[in-house]
Amino acid sequence: MSDLKFLIVDDFSTMRRIIRNLLKEIGYTSADEAEDGVAALGKLKGGGFDFVVSDINMPNMNGFQLLQSIRADDSLKHLPVLMVTAESRKEDIVLAAQSGASGYIVKPFTKATLEEKLQKILQKIGKA
Amino acid sequence: MDISANAVQAAAPGEDSAKLYRRLGELVRSLHEALSELGYDGHIEAAVSSLPDAKSGLSYISRLTGEAAEKVLNAVDRAKADQDALAQAARGLAAGCDARAVTGFASQVVQTCERTDGHLTDIMMAQDFHDLTGQVTRRLIETVQRLERDLVVLLVEAAPGPARPAADAEQLHGPVTDAERRVDVVENQKQVDDLLDSLGF
Repeated sequence: MSDLKFLIVDDFSTMRRIIRNLLKEIGYTSADEAEDGVAALGKLKGGGFDFVVSDINMPNMNGFQLLQSIRADDSLKHLPVLMVTAESRKEDIVLAAQSGASGYIVKPFTKATLEEKLQKILQKIGKA
Repeated sequence: MDISANAVQAAAPGEDSAKLYRRLGELVRSLHEALSELGYDGHIEAAVSSLPDAKSGLSYISRLTGEAAEKVLNAVDRAKADQDALAQAARGLAAGCDARAVTGFASQVVQTCERTDGHLTDIMMAQDFHDLTGQVTRRLIETVQRLERDLVVLLVEAAPGPARPAADAEQLHGPVTDAERRVDVVENQKQVDDLLDSLGF
């Protein structure tokens, strides 16, 4: 469980750092970071990742586009993708779910919420 | 706009103020018509309508930074109290101790460490204001740039300006700063979960 490798995608370094620290506290010490969808996709295609945690509102390629690219790629479509975002419009939440997001956390969030959603997703794919 | 010249000529000294006000009224109406004809009233409208958003964005930033500072200060207070208690206990031990006191102290250290770790996590989480206010700041800067463009166009009175992008062309809006005015947004994680549940996700 604790050797799952996470990719944290957010254009604000403060937020990437917070999520990275929380993952460590929850027990996941292996994580890498990307500042937008383009950088994220590049890293994912290099292989070795088990889980993506992504913001939506980012330059160059936003979270929706990243999610859709992941689901459209045979080598990546199996990856769980948890959205962590300030986007709170109902149509955005529904769009994320329809595009194949594994979960949706709205900012500001708590450590307990992140842990809960993570466990829920991992249980579903049998890696809890 | 010829009317201005005529109005000035006709308002000879000694003419009563009622006539003067009427001429001013005509001038203002002509100005309004000219702005309308050239399409500038749209610019003014757009500039003014972007202000409520800008105001609520600034309030949001002010509120978030204030709340973050408060959260951090509270966590620091609690952590300091814990540290003080621990230091006191250690001073007591240094003065003279027995096996039971040492065991008691050791367990107090462990508890204090766990609590302090929690306070440090709280302080870390409180930094999330930077991301949220940063997104709003970015949007505000764009609004101010649009306002600036619109006002410059009016000032320069150039030929009709370049086509302006639609006021809200961006699809992503970042943190919602005026939830009380909206029905199309959720306000917390529970509402997100309920929405997804109701749709079968």
